[in-house]
Amino acid sequence: MLDPLAGKLEHYMDLLSARQKQVASNIANADTPGYKTRDIDFQAEFNSAIAGLTPNAVEVRDLPVHNDGNNVNLDREARLLSENALRFSIATNLLRDQIRSVKMAIEEGKSS
Amino acid sequence: MSLFSLLSVSSSGMSAQRARAEMLVENLANAETTRTPEGGPYRRKDAVFESAPAEGPFSSIFESQLGGPDGVRVAQVTVDDREPERRYLPGHPDADKDGYVAFPRINPAEDMVDLMGASRSYQANVAAISAVKDMIQRSIDLLR
Repeated sequence: MLDPLAGKLEHYMDLLSARQKQVASNIANADTPGYKTRDIDFQAEFNSAIAGLTPNAVEVRDLPVHNDGNNVNLDREARLLSENALRFSIATNLLRDQIRSVKMAIEEGKSS
Repeated sequence: MSLFSLLSVSSSGMSAQRARAEMLVENLANAETTRTPEGGPYRRKDAVFESAPAEGPFSSIFESQLGGPDGVRVAQVTVDDREPERRYLPGHPDADKDGYVAFPRINPAEDMVDLMGASRSYQANVAAISAVKDMIQRSIDLLR
């Protein structure tokens, strides 16, 4: 009933929450010795999410490592945190428009 | 995998940082303490963190079986084993026979800097919670 775009939006939102989870985990471990930043390869995982696979987290390379072996960069995580929240908000707004048009079709049908 | 489990990841970060801040203020408060239940002067404490599966209120075992995200917890508390600082205070009740008193080896600057770090990390976790809360709220708004 909803067009195929809605299905993709759902995968997109799922993937954004998976990525947000990695970001939250990186922030929580900002002071853990030896912890390495993990992230999701968004483009690749989006294609495999459409194919129905669960996303994998990978270690982020080329980040400067601190003395305790930790390489969490809080600025990077803060940026991703707000970026994910904003993208999620775009996706929910688009999805809501789709739902609204279906709803409208139902309600207009009722009144006649 | 739900957005709600992210809240427990960030809350584990908050409680770990809070535990660390508690130890740091304890160090500052005891900078001049010469008597402890274990005997001798107070010794500086610090927290060592390790990543651990975040424990949510519900179904956390299922989540961690699926390779859920890592939270953080205090793995151990390190106690400073350096020799105490000796100050010459012959009138002090804890002075030894040569008139020296053992004081804790605490550098307030070190603890203040760590305390600022702990407080900033706590704030970062709070920011993560509010971003996730916003995402949850937007999902709920889809139902309206």
